[in-house]
Amino acid sequence: MRKFVRLGRGTAAAAGKCAGGRGDGRAESKKEPADRFKENHFLGPDLQANLARVKEIFKDCGDIIYREFLFAQREDIRMVLIYTDGLVDKDQLSDQIMRALALDAPVAVAGAEITKARAYHLIKERCLCIHQVKETGRLEDVIEAVLSGDTVLLVDGHPCAVVNGARGWESRKIAEPESEMVVRGPRESFVETLRTNTALIRRKIKNPELKIETMKLGRVTKTDVAVVYIKGIVNDKLVEEVKKRLARIDIDGVLESGYIEELIEDNPWSVFPQVNHTERPDRLAARLLEGRVGILVDGTPFVLTVPCVFFEYLHAAEDYYERYPVATVSRLIRFLALFLSLVAPSIYIAIVTFHQEMLPTALLLSLAAQREAVPFPVFVEALIMEVSFEILREAGLRLPRQVGQAVSIVGALVIGEAAVRAGLVAPATVIVVALTGISSFVFFYSASVATRLLRFPMMVLSATMGLFGLIMGVMTIVTHLCALRSFGTPYLSPVAPMSPGDMKDLVVRAPWWAMLARPRLIGWKKPRRQEPGQKPAPPETGPGGKGGGRSGGRG
Amino acid sequence: MAEGAKVSSRQGAFLMANVIFSTLIIFVPTITARHARQDAWISIILAAGAGLLVGLLAAALGRRFPDQTIFEYPAEIVGRWAGKLVGLLYVWWFLHLAAESFRVFGEFLVAIFMPETPVAVLIVLGATGGVYAVRHGLEVITRANEIFLPLAFVSVVVIFILAAGQMNFQRLLPVADVGAVQVFKGAAVALSYFGEIAAIAVLVPYLNKPREAGQVAVAGVLASAAFFLLVMLGILTVYGPDLAGAYVFPTLNETRIISIANFLERLEAVNIVIWITGAYVKICFYLWAAALGSAQVLALKDYRPLVLPLVAVAVAMSTMLHPGILELLDFRWMVWPPYALSTFELGVPLLLLVTALARGKGGRPA
Repeated sequence: MRKFVRLGRGTAAAAGKCAGGRGDGRAESKKEPADRFKENHFLGPDLQANLARVKEIFKDCGDIIYREFLFAQREDIRMVLIYTDGLVDKDQLSDQIMRALALDAPVAVAGAEITKARAYHLIKERCLCIHQVKETGRLEDVIEAVLSGDTVLLVDGHPCAVVNGARGWESRKIAEPESEMVVRGPRESFVETLRTNTALIRRKIKNPELKIETMKLGRVTKTDVAVVYIKGIVNDKLVEEVKKRLARIDIDGVLESGYIEELIEDNPWSVFPQVNHTERPDRLAARLLEGRVGILVDGTPFVLTVPCVFFEYLHAAEDYYERYPVATVSRLIRFLALFLSLVAPSIYIAIVTFHQEMLPTALLLSLAAQREAVPFPVFVEALIMEVSFEILREAGLRLPRQVGQAVSIVGALVIGEAAVRAGLVAPATVIVVALTGISSFVFFYSASVATRLLRFPMMVLSATMGLFGLIMGVMTIVTHLCALRSFGTPYLSPVAPMSPGDMKDLVVRAPWWAMLARPRLIGWKKPRRQEPGQKPAPPETGPGGKGGGRSGGRG
Repeated sequence: MAEGAKVSSRQGAFLMANVIFSTLIIFVPTITARHARQDAWISIILAAGAGLLVGLLAAALGRRFPDQTIFEYPAEIVGRWAGKLVGLLYVWWFLHLAAESFRVFGEFLVAIFMPETPVAVLIVLGATGGVYAVRHGLEVITRANEIFLPLAFVSVVVIFILAAGQMNFQRLLPVADVGAVQVFKGAAVALSYFGEIAAIAVLVPYLNKPREAGQVAVAGVLASAAFFLLVMLGILTVYGPDLAGAYVFPTLNETRIISIANFLERLEAVNIVIWITGAYVKICFYLWAAALGSAQVLALKDYRPLVLPLVAVAVAMSTMLHPGILELLDFRWMVWPPYALSTFELGVPLLLLVTALARGKGGRPA
């Protein structure tokens, strides 16, 4: 654990912040406590002295509780429990630690004589009824343990502390995923607690090869971060690269996985996200099985996965749970939606402004009739509508729930209906903008942000240069995508560079019995997923009349 | 090396196919139809066959020097200064090709799409996108091509199927009626385009298996020839040789007549879109070759600083080379075939190969 962490420095800074109270001088709070730790690294035998030092560090930290009591009611063996209020399970603390040590100890150590010298050993080995204890003699470990939610027990006369894992804080229950909905599929989502999340993953993949390496990031926040992968499937160099990029991060706080995403991506100037994320344990498990690496961050349900290819954004978890023809059709719809959300308004502008001859005459006449009373050029009209749609969308995301209805009324009635009636915009423009807006919600949110951003320059291009400008824009975007990489993997694989074997999981989702290999560029270390020949067949028509021997359709 | 890219044989073949195909479909149908009339398709088969030889020649030369481009190995074959001269000659050729392609597509767009827009505007916008791709190097260009080229080929097939209703195969009769000279004249024009496969001489060292350069050239020529044959047959059977020769862009006219259910019509926009993508990749490849060549001839470490100035030169050249589209067509018809074939596509590579063989330069082709 914590192999590649600047532990000492992080602790020092955190402790320094508490000790220094409101003193914000960064250099000071970093340097001074570090010196103090150096000279006084370890706990001493004297309980009061130890306690004083801990209290000095936790000065002005109102949530730290010190509970002094006696071991087995013996006045000479004093102990103190130190913990952070709100981070510990109070029932466990009172029952399994305090009650066990203060009242039940004589029963537990029956036969052995209780002396001050042996007290520490007895406590640790015989009295504590806690599932997880650790021992430490280092002051900074004590501080860290207390802040992480552990309960630290100091015993008089012993230069050691017992760290009890009785964590228990208020946290959100495992709920349905909010951003990746499915009709069919697991309904659980990651939560804000790292340990719960690793448990969710472990429940999906019950295999010792699933490795979970933890580290701490953030000088001040000391956020737990876990790198998960399946050894034997993942490319070891990739894991090394992920760890290297994580270890390079030196930031004061990590409050969401987005902080990390921006610090480890390959091309920071691109609008396209090069690190994927998910809040579904089943999706994370599926990606790990493909040979990807997951990065879990404490405090957020969003787990980063790398490497990421662009077409992942057009795939949904449900594609793999629904039957494959259905999944294929919905993928086609998503590809279409991606296309529309990027260029639908631009095509409309280009055709109406430059290439009217492309439309069938009847359609052209109807368009012309609609636009007759509109006082703006079509570009301005579409731009106004796009911007107001963006504003509505943003409002829908941020507004307090109580005013939601007001926004939808304003959006639908005023901007849609009234603007058309007033002759400010043509109905066709409203249709195009609405279609574009809806399309951008069909595929993954992070990618839709990119297409939304790029939509506006595309509109400008097609308003100035027509279809040619539009194509130049699309080609530049495609070129840019071709140049992107995510942790060394070309962003547009498996299309460019083409790997025909991976086409089974691009637009088409092949049935599971045909999905024999992992993605070639990611899972090449152990390409074979399953054995061929599992295509189910009814017994009587099975090849060679073999009967039920080959029928794979169980469960 | 100034460029560290590696591309697979498939990517190489795709790139070569695009380099040939994307300009073939613009002017070649009308020119070959003028020469060889209803036998234009024979001209194309002949030209493709000869194109194979050109490609194999360039590939054979490249395989003798599997880690050098055509800008570098002449120096080994004919000596340092003469070699550099040959290298510069090829830099000029790629620059000229890029400028010509710029102009061809610019004129094409102006003629059919935006008659009021000055051609320079279109070229400059295209070049801006081009600079971005070229600076990213060969790998990115080939990857973009892997996306665009299949679209072009699919569109050819789809348009052929949709236009099938208007086709009359009687228009191909009588076969072999126009005389061998006319057929060969038509073939020569088409060959000057197929001969651009000689550009594989730049690509060979960047293939991850330079041994397969020959197959790459063959695949590139055959793929583009097959799809172009489909285009040519469509044009001839829909319009007959007279109209095919009279239109400037008969390929476009073939698309124009498609009308399905009175709604699916005027599909030429789709066509144009796909051709522009092909042209973009092709021009980017030539600009990349020119930039790389200048860097290698001048022994520079990186070609990227040269991209912007070279593109500027190509853009300026493209606007100054021809006064208008008719002169351009004339040039492509009368001057270009002898100019390109005699030196860059056939002449120089052949001389180089013979000299290399005679002086025993270069490794034995694997």
